[in-house]
Amino acid sequence: MEIIAIILLILLVGSFLTYFVDSFNKKWTGTTAFLIVLITAGIFFTKIKSGYQFNFQLAGLDLQWGLTDYSYYFVYIILGLSVLALLYSIKYMEGKARLGYFYGSFILTVLGMLGVVISQDFVSLFFFWEIMTWASFLLVIYNAYYKIKTKGIKYMIFSAVGAYAMFTAIVFIHVHYDTLLISEAIAKGAFNFEQYIYIPIFLLLGFGIKAAVMPFHVWAPPAYAKSPMSFTTIFSGAMSKMGVFGIGLVFTSFYLSSNPENFFWVRTILGWMGGITAVMGTIYALIQTDAKKLLAYSSVAQLGYIIVGLSTGTQLGVMAALYLAVIHAVFKGALFMVAGAVEKQAGTTDMTQISGLIRKMPYTFVVALVSIIALAGVPPLGGFVGKWLLYEALITESNNYILVVVVFFSSTAAFMYSYRFLFGLFLGQEEKETEHVKEAPATMIIPMIILAIIATVAGAYPGLIFEPAAKAMQAIGFQDVTWQMSSLTNVWGDTTDLFLIAMLIFAVFIISFVFLTLKGLKKTRYVGTKDISTSGELPKEWENLTFQLDFFKPFERAAAPLYKMDMNKIWKDLGKNLEAFFGFFRKIYTGNGQTYALYIVIFLVVLLLFRDVLFS
Amino acid sequence: MEGIFIKILGAFLTAILAFVVGMLYGGLRRKVIARAQNRVGPPIHQNFLDLMKLQAKRTNIAHGFMGHMAPVWIIIAAMTVLMFIPILHGNLWFENLTMKGDLIFLLYMMVFGSLGMALGAGQSGNPNSAMGVSRGLAQLVGFEIPFFLALIALMIQFNTTSIAVLMDHQEATGRWIIVDNPFAFIAALLASLGMFRYAPFDIVGAPAELASGPRSEFGGKYLGTMMTGGAVFAFIKLVMYVDLFLGGAGNNNLEGLAGTALGLVELLVKTFLLYMIPVFIGLVTPRFRTEQAIQFFWKWPTFFGILAIVWALYKNGTIG
Repeated sequence: MEIIAIILLILLVGSFLTYFVDSFNKKWTGTTAFLIVLITAGIFFTKIKSGYQFNFQLAGLDLQWGLTDYSYYFVYIILGLSVLALLYSIKYMEGKARLGYFYGSFILTVLGMLGVVISQDFVSLFFFWEIMTWASFLLVIYNAYYKIKTKGIKYMIFSAVGAYAMFTAIVFIHVHYDTLLISEAIAKGAFNFEQYIYIPIFLLLGFGIKAAVMPFHVWAPPAYAKSPMSFTTIFSGAMSKMGVFGIGLVFTSFYLSSNPENFFWVRTILGWMGGITAVMGTIYALIQTDAKKLLAYSSVAQLGYIIVGLSTGTQLGVMAALYLAVIHAVFKGALFMVAGAVEKQAGTTDMTQISGLIRKMPYTFVVALVSIIALAGVPPLGGFVGKWLLYEALITESNNYILVVVVFFSSTAAFMYSYRFLFGLFLGQEEKETEHVKEAPATMIIPMIILAIIATVAGAYPGLIFEPAAKAMQAIGFQDVTWQMSSLTNVWGDTTDLFLIAMLIFAVFIISFVFLTLKGLKKTRYVGTKDISTSGELPKEWENLTFQLDFFKPFERAAAPLYKMDMNKIWKDLGKNLEAFFGFFRKIYTGNGQTYALYIVIFLVVLLLFRDVLFS
Repeated sequence: MEGIFIKILGAFLTAILAFVVGMLYGGLRRKVIARAQNRVGPPIHQNFLDLMKLQAKRTNIAHGFMGHMAPVWIIIAAMTVLMFIPILHGNLWFENLTMKGDLIFLLYMMVFGSLGMALGAGQSGNPNSAMGVSRGLAQLVGFEIPFFLALIALMIQFNTTSIAVLMDHQEATGRWIIVDNPFAFIAALLASLGMFRYAPFDIVGAPAELASGPRSEFGGKYLGTMMTGGAVFAFIKLVMYVDLFLGGAGNNNLEGLAGTALGLVELLVKTFLLYMIPVFIGLVTPRFRTEQAIQFFWKWPTFFGILAIVWALYKNGTIG
């Protein structure tokens, strides 16, 4: 039996096995799930190399599974993050209900994602895409088991629309090009906007909805925030990347096969969709009071950057997108884990309820700090590299000067929600209500720390990610992708030496830490957050000095026009209009037998009257 | 070996120069403000005295680990950015790491210190500090937009993202970029008003309103370090503007010490004149509200920034 089939079978059987383990002993469910995915990852990375292929026939269809460097790049994200998320999940989900349901769907989701990237024909792609979507839908409604109708409905509707769009495109590809293999479709130019424009548009719609691109992003924030955090880690970190995977495949093959001048509009529209996604995601993230919601909107924004990078279609831009895809999975995975740890230990992630956890959860805070620095794109951590590549690609290669300002605006405004996240959960006044909070258990901390270390190392040695990314780009048609281990160079020859920067920062850090902080730590004693100088008055114990509500009110006032655009409202209006429209058609079915008899009579009369036209 | 020695010594020289000039300019500003208000004012070296006093103090209480780290972040940011900014053009002693990082890196590195300090201020639990940070971040989003527009205009006009190459270009043509792209200079200058945080944009510290904002819980050595960092940063911003728009300094043909000295004098004159712009504006204006400050930057400065890009494209031959 083929090794890839065995791997998928392990996951499938493992999914059911976990479900049954739960009925016997709830303690072992999480561990079983973790081990199953760990074993799968082990077998996958040792046995399967890039270039692997497996052809077989099913129901008269030629199916092809295999791995190019491009799909292998995404496997790193999927399996790497899933293993860490499941390790984290063991303690995070402990004591919760319906563990079998949770872990079973979790493993099915991993199976779906893995299937999507190994599919080299459209039939299996669609099949696995649906497995992934439905399994993840079960997880989205996990916390709202009895309120399915209100909670998961947006995700389901958008996923369904995306799936139909993708299916339509697949059917059209089969009709027009007589193939179901992705590589053949690319060779025949199926993704070309010039021939049958609806094929790439439908495909981009299907993938774009999964990547939560504006204006189809409305499902994402509630779905990310409502799911259990250990799942949101891969939901936002890995599954949204499946959309990126598809868009990258479709768009790049089109870009490379066509004359770049011909597709100015395609490039511009896709780029601006990404740019607007980034801005709207960011400005909505910074007014959230729930840390989970904040991260969810931030995910939407970060995916916007990736789409912008892909939309350039140039070497540096696609490199930026692929790099950001990994680094976003890393730091956002860590951040969702942080949010989950806080939720588990303190009971809520509402920033108006809790604050000042830094002394109670120091390790979690350090991870949050590192990941937030990476998210904000401040050197010397990994996030900066992605930002640098993206800006330089837009400025030097694709000449999109206004879009780069839009992206820059979003990434500067991201400082605000970055700070809000750290301040809201960890800094600020220490409250009586959070006195009982303890540090999260070790199995939750370890995966977070691993991710934080990756984000740190990527800042000095981004080449570790560039290497597979460059291979991936060569697999989808780029030639001679250049990269360096620890420095960045644009087409004008300007370099940024990251290793040097990291070393300099580290050296200054050590010196000032030893001579300033260590002394300070030794010679001072800690006083509570109530012992502060409020204009010479000592605040009383009962005085409330917490500042959490309306944190960025001045910015909200300044940017008020931006907040008026609410995509949710537009979709709701559309829904209402559609309802009215279909309501009109429903009137045909009166429920009265006589009306139906009349319809039959009218039908027969029409047939008789036009029989010459119809049956000639 | 000798090269490394010169590098290390040069780095020290740069740091000392930045510190002394920055502190003196701070004192000068106090003097100028005092004279304008018809007071005698403190002596120019008052900031050094203040620093000595602060460094001599002993701190007994602390507000947690991030509070201890705040001055460290500021030193890191100040030293790192200083090493990547060309002080004198082509001078061996002040070469540092100028070719190793470009403008986008500098743009991001410059916020590092403020963000670190914001974290320290946040842990203190003082609501005034948090309010100051909230305002500061909002204002950052305001003034970074025109500044970034101006930088992009320079980048596309001269096809480089490196500050050192821009200086080379100005020396080679003998024409300052303020002439080549005046709109970029206007946009950047207006943005610099926000960067310096003097009135009307002193909403972060906001005396008599936020009780010095993020700094309110720091004292003694930490406050002294922050003051030093602030002075160095003032110098960095001024030198950066001189490098970008006013031709840089040290473009003389004199060899050795005389050339360096002349270059330094040139640098001092240019930076001083530039520094007086935000100082004088600060003298005669009251304070904006935060949203007014942000909206100010999104109006005229952004307009000039976009104009600068159009101008750059026109000069570049892309349009027109």
